[in-house]
This record gives sequence, structure tokens and C-alpha cells, in this order.
Amino acid sequence: MPSRRIFVSQSLGIVALGAAAPAFLARAADAATLPDLASAVDPGNVLLVIQMGGGNDGLNTIVPYSDDAYHRVRPAIGISANSVLPIDGRIGLNPVMSGFDDLFKDGHLALVQGVGYPNPNRSHFEATQIWETASPDRPVSYGWLGRYLDQTVPASAQPDPARLFTAVALGDTVPTALISQRVDVPAIGTLSTYGYNAGKDPASRTATGTLYDGAKPGQSPYLSLIETTARNALHGGDLLRAKLASYTPAVTYPNDPFSQQLRVAAQIVGSNTGTRIIFVSIGSFDTHAGQRSQQDRLLGYLANGLHAFYKDLEAHQLQDRVLALTFSEFGRRVQQNASNGTDHGAAMPLFILGGKVKGGVYGDHPSLTELDNNGDLKHAIDFRAVYATIVKQWLGRDPSAIIAGTYDPVAFV
Amino acid sequence: MKLDTSTDPQVGFRPPGSLDEASALLRYEGPLTRRQAAHLVRRAAFGATAPELDALAGLEATAAVDTVLHPTGPDADLVGYPDAASLYDPKVRNNVAEMWWLDRMLRTRRPFVEKMTLFWHGHFATSLGKVPANLMVEQIDLFRAEGLGDFRALLLAVSKNPAMLLWLDNRANAKAHPNENFAREVMELFALGLGNYREDDVKNAARAFTGWTLDKELRFVFRPEMHDDGVKTFLGKSGNFGGEDIVGIIAQQPVHQRFICRKLLEFFVYSDPEPELVEALARTYALSGYDIAQTVGTVLRSNVFFSTRAYRALPKSPIELVIGLLRFMQVEVVPKDTVAWLRRMGQDPLSPPSVKGWDGGPTWINTGSLLARFNYVNRIVKAAPPPARAGTMTAAASADLATFPAFGPDQIVRRAGGLDANRILAQIARDAVQDDVTSDVRSTIEDYLQSVGASVPQAFGPENYEDRIRGALALTLNLPSNQLN
Repeated sequence: MPSRRIFVSQSLGIVALGAAAPAFLARAADAATLPDLASAVDPGNVLLVIQMGGGNDGLNTIVPYSDDAYHRVRPAIGISANSVLPIDGRIGLNPVMSGFDDLFKDGHLALVQGVGYPNPNRSHFEATQIWETASPDRPVSYGWLGRYLDQTVPASAQPDPARLFTAVALGDTVPTALISQRVDVPAIGTLSTYGYNAGKDPASRTATGTLYDGAKPGQSPYLSLIETTARNALHGGDLLRAKLASYTPAVTYPNDPFSQQLRVAAQIVGSNTGTRIIFVSIGSFDTHAGQRSQQDRLLGYLANGLHAFYKDLEAHQLQDRVLALTFSEFGRRVQQNASNGTDHGAAMPLFILGGKVKGGVYGDHPSLTELDNNGDLKHAIDFRAVYATIVKQWLGRDPSAIIAGTYDPVAFV
Repeated sequence: MKLDTSTDPQVGFRPPGSLDEASALLRYEGPLTRRQAAHLVRRAAFGATAPELDALAGLEATAAVDTVLHPTGPDADLVGYPDAASLYDPKVRNNVAEMWWLDRMLRTRRPFVEKMTLFWHGHFATSLGKVPANLMVEQIDLFRAEGLGDFRALLLAVSKNPAMLLWLDNRANAKAHPNENFAREVMELFALGLGNYREDDVKNAARAFTGWTLDKELRFVFRPEMHDDGVKTFLGKSGNFGGEDIVGIIAQQPVHQRFICRKLLEFFVYSDPEPELVEALARTYALSGYDIAQTVGTVLRSNVFFSTRAYRALPKSPIELVIGLLRFMQVEVVPKDTVAWLRRMGQDPLSPPSVKGWDGGPTWINTGSLLARFNYVNRIVKAAPPPARAGTMTAAASADLATFPAFGPDQIVRRAGGLDANRILAQIARDAVQDDVTSDVRSTIEDYLQSVGASVPQAFGPENYEDRIRGALALTLNLPSNQLN
């Protein structure tokens, strides 16, 4: 079956190209008519959620340096009073967190202490699910941010190419927090894995676009879903790369992978992609042994990476559009263990950062002597109160449709 | 009305029409078309190479299914159990377990057994997120050994399986402080489904499973001192039940037969099996004595399985896509970055997202997962093997070479009978997607193969046929039809 436009060269046994323009060039115009990102979305507030995976030891993050009990339970891994970065006369930051110290002094950083929930779970997997679904009592299918996303789109909405990046996860997978019923959340590992990777073969990108341009009425439901989603993916990947390339960071980010992801996060904020939620993770806080070197390294990445991120936003006058929130699935035991580490515990501090954040300390440092019935730090602020505050004050939604229960707001924003 | 067994890509699969219950589960008779043969190996196995499909197409259905379900000859030389030292090394153990299983899926000559193992892994979803790698490997071995036998024996073995006892906390289930996690899920997720038991049944089942725990070496042990030996009332029966009794009573529920048969039909046939079809298979299942091999065998030999209703009717799962691709491309060793790609596609093996496993179906399809599929296919198909060097290859070079496809331009040209673009395109369409392409698709791929532009200065010919054929093959494998199983 010879094609319309090719001539078979019998002598060579091969085929040469005819004069007519290939079909894909004629159709390429269609792709250009797809809407720009965010054409339907106001540049609004952005929430950056930072997961500190593994269970961060709060006691060596915000150190109760004036409390003798602290030095008693942490003889080998405790941080001495004269090395902390003091917040006040009782607590101070881990000395590696100078970036946070600066941000705190400038009034952009809130420390929320003693955060948790009743009957804390000490399994990484389950505690992470609890924090990400905001449902400690029963497992639910969608994440707390996913439920927020579901509130932002009409029930019958088709995937909207202008809203491809309403929420993005920086990493290889979409975390439970962003699992939504109706919104497709892209996981962006790197810009080279998100987006069609044509390598040295740009014609393959064009042809793939044409091949997915053929959804016709009457096709099987899965086929239409696949074709529509692929068109959005191909289009979105191209747009994202093009847009992000136009943003130049104003600072040099540290070289660790977490800080480099924050650089991408700032690019997204500054590129008018219509993004409201960005999720990023920094792992390996599960410090059962040799805690100091490991945790200090990670806390340095966290504080100094976020410091660079904030300064970058400031230089682009974007700092007032972003609120960053950290969380970890649990804090750790009060007492150090025999391997100079700490085991799984309960309550911990969170950090909240942003131009509109009311910097300061929220909640008291949990007591090291009045512990829960498992011997762990007691929480005074429920994590759902923090989430509900953010949903209401920052994302502008009624939290009751997203977070079960009613909580007193925390005044950090 | 007899089921339509023709397949026509022009209608976009799944044409309208209704199920004929009377003939649905009867044996399909007649020789298999190439499409039907490919359908069989996609569902019952992990696809096939083009030459394997040549051999299968044209066989009588019975003989073809026998070839897939009951292969003769020895299995491939597989690693029985991962190297113990690496399986306990926290730095590498998860990856070692994942790669061990992917290697089995790729190389085994009993792919149907491995497909059933994958089914049970999704059904009894347990994750490396909470369970050590060695216990996950042991659980996969259990599915492999018992996944085609009596479901009651499988369910009982799973209930005593260390990975499961850890995963759903039954190790902590004691008379003084019962833990209901496993007792609930064994009904909700494993055997009955929501709404087919009450909270009191959960409480009583939990009491019956008290004392089913783990010793210090994480082996199953029954501890009588933790066990509640009072009378329990469970699903309408009363007695001093233990865990064995609970498993037995659950399996006797008529709703269980429908529950498990619906799940098998959703996995092997299509995602919305008609109640009549579920009912009919449930009768087969009950008559067989809960025999999984017989039940699934009935499905895979049936009219409904070989009908257009089932053809390309399911989205390919990432594992099906990846292993199917590696098998088709004749890759011998799973490339190391495959696990990371599977994660991007949304199916990290041995790490299902929750106790419910993967939701599958349309949830496999999102922008990120499709891009990962495209990029993985490109990465495998367009990778030219390193040039052969004179002399003997080192072991490392030979292992590296085994991660590259043996299928490619030269085999395709040979199969097509010459370096003719039209023949080559026809061969690719036939081998890669069984001609499930429309004329528009054919002409787009033709244009690609023939195009001359800035990045491709030469017309298709002896000078550049290798890259062009690889590119056309990758395009074809990335077609919408190949996202469907």
C-alpha cells in the first residue's frame, strides 16, 4: 500500500520523500492554539509544603538549651547552650540553621511548637498517611491538599489545559497529600523527565503530538482519556520548560538536591504557571544511629536552602505570594538511644515561612518531664489547626469542607 | 447473539453490544488471529516477542492457551532468592528485592504464574514502606507457590504470613488490647468487600486472631497466652473460634465467591464485568472448590475473553507496559533505572500506595505517568547497543550489553524482507501493535520515517535506517493503542 506522497525507488529498494509537506507540520498549528497556562487563573497565593521524611527530631531542631532535663536525656547528642542560635532565653535553633536564624530575625519565619494529634502513630507509613490525609482516626482515599484541589474545580470539569500545574509535586511520585479525585497532579522529578524527551530527534516529539491528536467521538472511554491526557502532558511539558527557562534565579542555591528543587519551585512561582500548591520532600531524618552528623547535614540543607529560596523570591518581589510549611510524620523519643540516635516519638515543631507570615514563636516548647503515657512529648497544637488556618487564611477556602473537625486558628498568618 | 470476535482498530475498540451470558464462559473454538494471540499473552503473561507471536498465531485456541498456561521444558535460570547479604543491607535491600522480582517477570518461562503473583500482590497489597525487604520477598514467594491453588489455603497462609502480620498489625493483636486492623481488612479488602459484615463481626474476628503473632526472628507463632478463647459470634455463627475458623466462615459466604470472581474478571477481562458474568464465574469457582487455576483457566479460554468487548479494554499497568516492552524488545537484563521509571509511572513494585493496593484502571493515566511511559519507551527502544569490539568481551561489558534490546533495525529489516520503507512500516505496525493503527496513524509514522529536515539531513536509506527504524518503532510503541492491554 504506497502512501499518497512517497515514491518508491525500485533500484535502491528504498523510499524517498515526496514534495508535499508532512501532515504533522500542517497540524502543528493546532497545538499552538491550546491555551497558555494560567490564562484562566489569577496569580494567587502559593503554598509550598515541605515534607521532612523519616521523622525529624524536634529537640535537636529547636533546642530547649536552658532546660537541664534536655542535657540529662541527651548526654552525647545534645547541643550545648553556647552553640545554639538563641531565639529567646529558653530555646535556640540548631547551629547549622543560620539561614532560619536570619529569616526569624527579619520576621518572616514562624516556629510552631508542640504539634501533633491524639494517640500518635509511630509507623512511618501510617503516620505519614495521617499527616497527608489529615485523618488520624480512619484511612481515607484523598489527601488534604487533594481535597482542597477538588474544591477548586467544578464536579463535571474536563481536564483544563490552562490548569495543568495548579498543583505540582517536585519528585518522582505524587504524595498522598496531593491525591485528588478530580485534579491531575504532575510529579516533576526533573525538567528532563517531565516533558517529552526527544533527545536528538525533535521530529519524534512533533509526530507524537500528531499521533495523539486524533481522538474521535465514539472511541472507548479509556482511549479518549489517554489521548486527552497525553495532549495535555505533551503541551504542558513543552510550556513548562519554555516558561521556566525565562526565570533567572537571583541567588545561587546550595548544591544539595533539596535546595536545587527549591530553585525549581521558585522558577514555578515566578513563571506564571497558575500554580497554587508545590510539594517537595527532603528525606532521611530517621536517625536511629549517629544522629548528629546526619540530622545536622539535613537541617542545614533545609534552613539554608529555604533562605536562598526566600531571598530569590524577594529579589523577584514574589515573597508575599508564597507561604512555606514544613512537616514530618513524627518527632523522636526524648531520651537518646544506645547508638547515639533517637527512636520514633510524637510531637514536634513546624516551620512556616513567607513574606506575609507573622514571624515569631507559637505554642510553648513541650515539657521534657511531663510526658504522654508512652514517655513521649505531648502535643499542644493539633496539626489540623495549622492546616485549617492555612486553608482559610492563605488559600481562601472554608476549611470545614477539607479538614474534619473545628480548630482554633493559629495566628501565624 | 454470539460474541463478536473480530477486531477493528477503526472503531476504537470496545464497540457497542451486549454480553451473551449463555456463551460467555464457554470455550472459544477456532484458530487465534495474531491480534487474539497477542491479547492472550498480554493478559495471561507479559506479552511476547515477535517470533513467539508468529508461533502462537494460527494455533487452535485450546492449544494456544495451553502453551501459555502450561509451558513445557525447564524454566529459565532464575535467582531463587536474592543474595542474603544485600537483602539485609538497609542501603540497597529495597532495590534488590524489586529488581529480583522484575528479573523474574522478564525472564521466566512461566509468565502466567508471575502474572498471578502480581495479581495477588495487588490484592493482598503489602509495602516495603513498613515491611522489611526479606519478608516482602518471602510473601511474593508465597503468592508464587500458592497463588494458583485453593483460595482458602492461600488466605490462611497469607493470614499467617510475617509480612502481613507486620503490615496490618496483627502481631500486636492480644486479648488485653485487640487490634482490629487485619480482621477488618481480611473482610473488606481480601474476601468480602465493604457492606458485607458489621462492626461486631470485625470485633469478633479480631478476638479470634488474637495471639497470631511473630517471634523475635519475625517467624509466625501462635501465643496461647495472648489468645482470647471465649465464645465469638461471627457472621451469624457462634463458637470458640480461632483464626482458621474465621477464614473458613468468610470463604463460605456466597458474596465471597462473587467478590473474588469480579476482581479476577476486572484484572483479566475488562473493568466493568456484568453482574451475570460475575455470577456465572462464581458458580465455576464454587464448583471447582475455590480452585484459582481452574477459575482463571475458564476465563482465559472463554468466548468473552477472546471477544471485542475484552480486546484492548484495559489500560496497561506500568509493570505490564515495562515488562511487555522489555520482553518484546528482547532485553535480557532489566536496566537498573527501571524501578525509578516505574515509580514515575505510578507503580513502584512492592510499594503499593496503601492497604487497598493500586486503584489501577483510569488512575494509571495522568500527565506525569504518560510522559514517563513515552520517555521510558524512547530510552529503551532508541538506545543503540555499544559497538562490538574485537576480542572477547569482559563480563561487565557483556552484562551491560544484555540491558540493550536485541530486537531492532536488523531484525525488522529481515522480517520485512528488505530495506523498503513501506514494508518496514507495515512490519513495525504488525509486530508492535498487531496492526491496531488507523490510516492517519500510518501516514504520520511514514512522514516521520521519510522526513528530511535540519536534524535529519538524509532521506531514509542505508545510511540512516537504523536510527529512523528505532524512532518509528518507538513512535508505534507509544501509540494510544499500546497504552491499552
